Amino acid sequence: MRPVAADSRDSARASGRRALSFLADLSQSLAVSLDLKTTLGPALTRTMDFMHAEGASLFLLDPATKLLECKVCAGPVDIVGLKLEVGQGVVGRAVAENAPQRSDDARRDARVNTRVDAETGFVTRAILCVPLATAQGPIGALEIINRRDGGAFDADDAEILRLVAAPMALAINNARLALEVAEQQRIRREMGLARSIQKSLLPKRRRGKFPLIGVNLPAHEISGDFYDYFDLADGRLAFFVGDISGKGLDAAFLMVRVASLLRWNGKAAPAPAAWLREVNTELCETLQNGRFVCAVVGIYDRRTHQVVIANAGFPPGLLDHGGRFEELPADGPPLGIIKEAEYGERTLDLGGAALYLFSDGATDVREGARARLGADGLCELIRRYAALAPEPRLRALISELKRRRLVDDTTLLLLQEPRGSEVRELLALRFPADPREMRRVRAELRTALDAEDVAPELRDRLVLVVDEACTNVMRHAYCGGETGTIALRVTRERDMLGFELRDEAPCVDPARIKPRDLSECRAGGLGVAFIDATMDFWHIEGLPGGRGNRLVMRKRIAAQVQNDRESD
Amino acid sequence: MNGNECISETLGDYVLVRLSGEVDLSWSQQVRRAILDALGDTGKVGVELSQVSYIDSSGIAALVEGFQNARSRNQKFGLVGVSGAVMAVLQLARLDRVFPIFADLDAARSA
Repeated sequence: MRPVAADSRDSARASGRRALSFLADLSQSLAVSLDLKTTLGPALTRTMDFMHAEGASLFLLDPATKLLECKVCAGPVDIVGLKLEVGQGVVGRAVAENAPQRSDDARRDARVNTRVDAETGFVTRAILCVPLATAQGPIGALEIINRRDGGAFDADDAEILRLVAAPMALAINNARLALEVAEQQRIRREMGLARSIQKSLLPKRRRGKFPLIGVNLPAHEISGDFYDYFDLADGRLAFFVGDISGKGLDAAFLMVRVASLLRWNGKAAPAPAAWLREVNTELCETLQNGRFVCAVVGIYDRRTHQVVIANAGFPPGLLDHGGRFEELPADGPPLGIIKEAEYGERTLDLGGAALYLFSDGATDVREGARARLGADGLCELIRRYAALAPEPRLRALISELKRRRLVDDTTLLLLQEPRGSEVRELLALRFPADPREMRRVRAELRTALDAEDVAPELRDRLVLVVDEACTNVMRHAYCGGETGTIALRVTRERDMLGFELRDEAPCVDPARIKPRDLSECRAGGLGVAFIDATMDFWHIEGLPGGRGNRLVMRKRIAAQVQNDRESD
Repeated sequence: MNGNECISETLGDYVLVRLSGEVDLSWSQQVRRAILDALGDTGKVGVELSQVSYIDSSGIAALVEGFQNARSRNQKFGLVGVSGAVMAVLQLARLDRVFPIFADLDAARSA
């Protein structure tokens, strides 16, 4: 008996060694490549041979259809492409129960699917099937059929097959992950391509003294926002900026169409209101699924310094008159909703002002848990960088927005007449905040304005207004024993005179400085009323740090000459 | 030396406050006092402005205060010989039709 026992122990050891070395080889061959087509076929054939089986097959579960499909097989019958439902047949059960299945007499086993045998004449006698187990559950099954010696598979066979299934499941999982990564890379590459095509549709930045600059920041790779500008035959400059409802690929495709449509219609130089009307009619006929488009169109005339804009549901534009902001609300509904919609338009004197048009992404930026930036926050940012030239100013605004969290596509368009060397300083004075200084200040200002050929009546008005502004600072800002200086700077930019007054007094509340009605006869508050009646615009603000105020006033002198003639 | 002067002249029952120079915040309180004092002395007061080359809102306020005081006490108050510079500011303040304005002293006294 002992030799027999020794023999069987030896043979068990030998078969164990054989199995281990087979598993090691198999794992290694599966790890060679992530291409399942080249690794799984040979691995399955080797498994079939090692298990002394007549056939072997590997089924994978399609997560989308929940069907098991034979991907590879070895042996006399080709069943690649055969589909089974989870729970159906021996393979289906192995997956459904995530447990090995054995059929020792397949011909009398109700679990066994006999269709293939019936079609091929092959006789299935014994089956052993184990699930391809992963941490996320079974992803398929490995099946071997018929021992070559005609017997049934035993528990040892089941154990070995379970061990064989493990590296296969791992290899398949790795390959799938690799495929997903590759797929993601492909999508990213294509999105990058889409983005660069989209970018190429935006107008090229024009260097030199060009009044328009735009920036488009997509929240993701591609954007539903757009802007464009082009020269009209008569020398005027047409522009538009818009925002497609929704985000993502479909919005991006629609953006391309809408931008072309706006450009095509704009080339004929219609009045902005008519421009919007035409595009709206076209979009109402073709837009679907509740899509709509918010846009502003405009035409700027360099000769008259005027810009005409029409706004279809786009966020209100901001006209910055040296720190005082004028809101320019929508002139009609978004495009593509109401076929009969009519649009208003507004004419703006650009002069020294700056027109900001921005998609709602600019005001929707978040800072940590804080609420959205909002139009007020954007005005605050614009004020902070007002001293910069348009390009660096826009860059500064963009980096401020980027520092916060962009939640939507963001587009900014800035229209401002070129400045630069044309701003001349006519006068720069710093003097103690003392009324006795004003006689000298007035004399210097008079001389400076005379040098610019400012008409005497207007000159005297401007001298009066600057005097009033200075004495207001002395009386109201430097109150309660405060002393300090006032800095006055007078500039000229083409026909625009600029007056800037800075003090070092505690910040005043700009809301409390309002012109009073001149029709009532009373002594107080005349100074601000004079300023308001004389200047084209004025704005007062406290300087950062709670100390110092800045008053900016502007007066167009050519316009005043005309007005004087009219009133004569 | 700077040409700013405020001189009150009594002509019978009439007091004429003669201003000259540039009336601004540095001395408009002095002007205000002179006008109110004149109204304390007599029932007929004029402010002569032909030699005023500049006036600011604090100077205008002194005139308005004199006018309102006189009216509340049934006194006579008028501006005499208003210079172009002063008239421009009165017009800006829409006060050119509020004050009685006389071309010269005779017209003012006989009013």
